[in-house]
Amino acid sequence: MGAPKDLTDADVVAAVLAGDVDAYSVLVHRYRDAYVRFAIRMLGDREDADDALQSAFVRAYRNLAKCQDPSRFGAWLYQIAVNECRTLGTRRGRRELRLVRGDTTLDQLGDSRPSDDLAAREEIQRALDQLDGDQREAFVLKHVEELSYEEMAELTGLGVSALKMRVKRACERLRALLEEVHHD
Amino acid sequence: MTDHDPLLDGDDIAPHLVQPLRAAERLDDTFPARVMSAVHAEARGYERAAKARESHALRTGWWRRQRTVRLSPLGGLVMAAGIAGLAVLAERATSGGDRLVKLRDASTPLARAMPETVHVVRFVFTDPLAKSVSLVGDFNAWARDATPLAEHAGDGTWVVSVELPRGRHEYAFVVRREGDERWAADPFALPVRDDFGTESSIVTVGGPPYVPGRAGTT
Repeated sequence: MGAPKDLTDADVVAAVLAGDVDAYSVLVHRYRDAYVRFAIRMLGDREDADDALQSAFVRAYRNLAKCQDPSRFGAWLYQIAVNECRTLGTRRGRRELRLVRGDTTLDQLGDSRPSDDLAAREEIQRALDQLDGDQREAFVLKHVEELSYEEMAELTGLGVSALKMRVKRACERLRALLEEVHHD
Repeated sequence: MTDHDPLLDGDDIAPHLVQPLRAAERLDDTFPARVMSAVHAEARGYERAAKARESHALRTGWWRRQRTVRLSPLGGLVMAAGIAGLAVLAERATSGGDRLVKLRDASTPLARAMPETVHVVRFVFTDPLAKSVSLVGDFNAWARDATPLAEHAGDGTWVVSVELPRGRHEYAFVVRREGDERWAADPFALPVRDDFGTESSIVTVGGPPYVPGRAGTT
């Protein structure tokens, strides 16, 4: 193989499928940080995001032969990462629901005032965590990752109308949550 | 006043609320090594499985492998009668002993073997513009060139028959036209979309068919 930076995703996928396992590290390095922000915003936790993305890379390797268009490996990996975050979020959601059901975590929001970006991010992240997983996913893809609705539809397999409705509801809910906090 | 569209309005949010969320994030530097360690473990698992399959194939020559063919009930009876008849003739030619017992002995292994069936599934895909079509599925590790279909009489109908084990299988067709390659689900079978966004189809072998379609056991 040539220098990693000269190789297209399709070249690397072909090399891996031909038995060069180490070639996969080119893709891992190329996409290691591409979906971290999405995963952290979705899961609200860096370690969970790490787990989800590691799992996504391994699943992608395991199913590499099913990658229909290897030149768009990154987009395909994104789909897998979205699914891994959904799965982990659902599993963790059930666990947390059992443990802290009834706690008003938004009460904690009133304790902080965003004095800098980090504090603001934490505050909004806590509000984001209150959304349903479907709404949070749509919101993050639209307003954090800044995808178009068409790109979101391709990524999630959902229709544009359904996605718009989810984003709209997410925005309404977020506004209400944040107003509630600042009025307290 | 403009028309109010609930789908288009209200999906925006103040920039100061989302700007902090757009800050770049990174994973720690050990991430690639950890992923590759897991990937190598997967690869070693594949190698072990492949060696086990190869070793099994070497140990079991074709003359020793149990290969039975599924037949219609009438065909099965004819075959059983034929084998039993041969056993009876052989018995007469050799010892002239108890034919009833020998007949039962001769037919019992056949009865035991009949349920273990080789299932041959015929896959058909129609595309008059296709230059080539191949079958990919969990049974051939989704390898694009492992199972090509043959064009039937030049009319755009592509066919292949594949021996499959009992169970549920996912598959799709890789269709190549001039300068273009696409994956296509079987329009006559139950569609399924997996976690990877791949549209594929389901065939259930040795059980009730999912839906009436062209892919089925023969």
